[in-house]
Amino acid sequence: MNFKWKIIIPFAFLSVFGSSASAIAHGVRMQARETQAIEVNAEYDTGEPMAQAQVTVYAPNDPATPWLEGTTDKNGNFIFTPDSSQPGNWSVQVRQAGHGSIVNIPVEGNQAPTEGNGTAVPATNTPRIASSESANFTPLQLILMGAAGVWGFIGTALFFMRGNKSNSELRRSESQNG
Amino acid sequence: MRIQLLSLAGLLILAPGIIFGCAAEQTPGEPQAQVQSPTQSPSPQQPVGTLQVRANGEERAREGLVSKDGWRITFDNVYATIANVTAYQSQPPFNPEQGGEIQAQEKVVVLDQATTVDLAQPGSDGQDSVLVAEASNVPIGQYNALSWQMTPATEGPAQGQTIVMSGTAEKAGQTVNFVLNIDREFEYICGEYVGDARKGIVQAGGSADLEATFHLDHLFGDGEANPDDSINQGALGFDPIAALAQNGKAQVNMAQLQSQSPQVYQQLQEILPSLGHVGEGHCREAKTQTTG
Repeated sequence: MNFKWKIIIPFAFLSVFGSSASAIAHGVRMQARETQAIEVNAEYDTGEPMAQAQVTVYAPNDPATPWLEGTTDKNGNFIFTPDSSQPGNWSVQVRQAGHGSIVNIPVEGNQAPTEGNGTAVPATNTPRIASSESANFTPLQLILMGAAGVWGFIGTALFFMRGNKSNSELRRSESQNG
Repeated sequence: MRIQLLSLAGLLILAPGIIFGCAAEQTPGEPQAQVQSPTQSPSPQQPVGTLQVRANGEERAREGLVSKDGWRITFDNVYATIANVTAYQSQPPFNPEQGGEIQAQEKVVVLDQATTVDLAQPGSDGQDSVLVAEASNVPIGQYNALSWQMTPATEGPAQGQTIVMSGTAEKAGQTVNFVLNIDREFEYICGEYVGDARKGIVQAGGSADLEATFHLDHLFGDGEANPDDSINQGALGFDPIAALAQNGKAQVNMAQLQSQSPQVYQQLQEILPSLGHVGEGHCREAKTQTTG
């Protein structure tokens, strides 16, 4: 099963059954809470995953002290849930065998993490850490995106206009023949 | 027909946009200080600290290395002439590989001249790295970007060169005493330091440091790594330098290499821009627009 689905399905399950579902069975009390996790994937620019690489997470309130330490899995993935009471840039550093990079993920207070802005795309022999892609569009890109949207509406309208015209011509032809 | 023409016109409008959009991310540039704060003189109420910039050739420069082709290299000196060192508090954090520019909320010119340091000699203050320059009374905060230039030394043992490496290489009973002179200029624009501990966080009344790091394994390779490892695929090794030795001595400069061994010269030209790092973090070499 795709790794992402393994992550998504439990979250989807939690979403369906509410953010604070609980169950009691034979004296066992369980609580489930929906949280927003951040998944970081680190790989070398050759495409090889940075498996079992050293991960250090820094929270915005104390950027000098590691907030969480761990290692990536065999696919170079690392998932953590930031403390939403600490909005700001959460920094994730991944290192392995003298190669490393850091990605910064802006997290808004008590909300889902927003787009990361620090996807590292290094040169040869260097690792790549991928998280959410940046959404910093240039004005030109925004104008073109707008133009593309407008063009979509115009094209759709033209398509239906052509259909109406064809139908009316067909009806006119039929009435003349009949 | 009219619809086809309109479709074609739409494509003509969108195609340049796609091309420009892609090109924008690959266009490196000079650091851009949106908020220029010549931070050597902050306001009296502003909390300040001290920021050092140090140079580090790592243990490879201090203790030597084994090249990808089996030469045991020890350095007497690795002179690097570093100039115009500037530290930034960039928001958003700067990523040299992603394109764009440093968005400086604070900018500190730590060194506005040039100084030559020897990366082969441990710092006189007991640290492995060598102090390049220090700025006091800088605004507090996290300095998460660094830029510096490499210029030819105007005096001293490295005069006329940006980098001078001298030492001894040994392999299978053969010894080569070498001096490699590099006069090419560089400008490194780097992101955040990556290493054991986070650097560059200046607190009120405190001191922090940043590091200009030089990865010599990019040049000579790593004999302990797999030959297929990408570090060795791109490295020069030492065989090409040893091949230029006469009577056990190789003293080469870039002009010589260009005329005597164009292939080695070209390979060096491709490797040298990737020497500069910030710890394990990466830099963009602005003069040739490469990252490493």
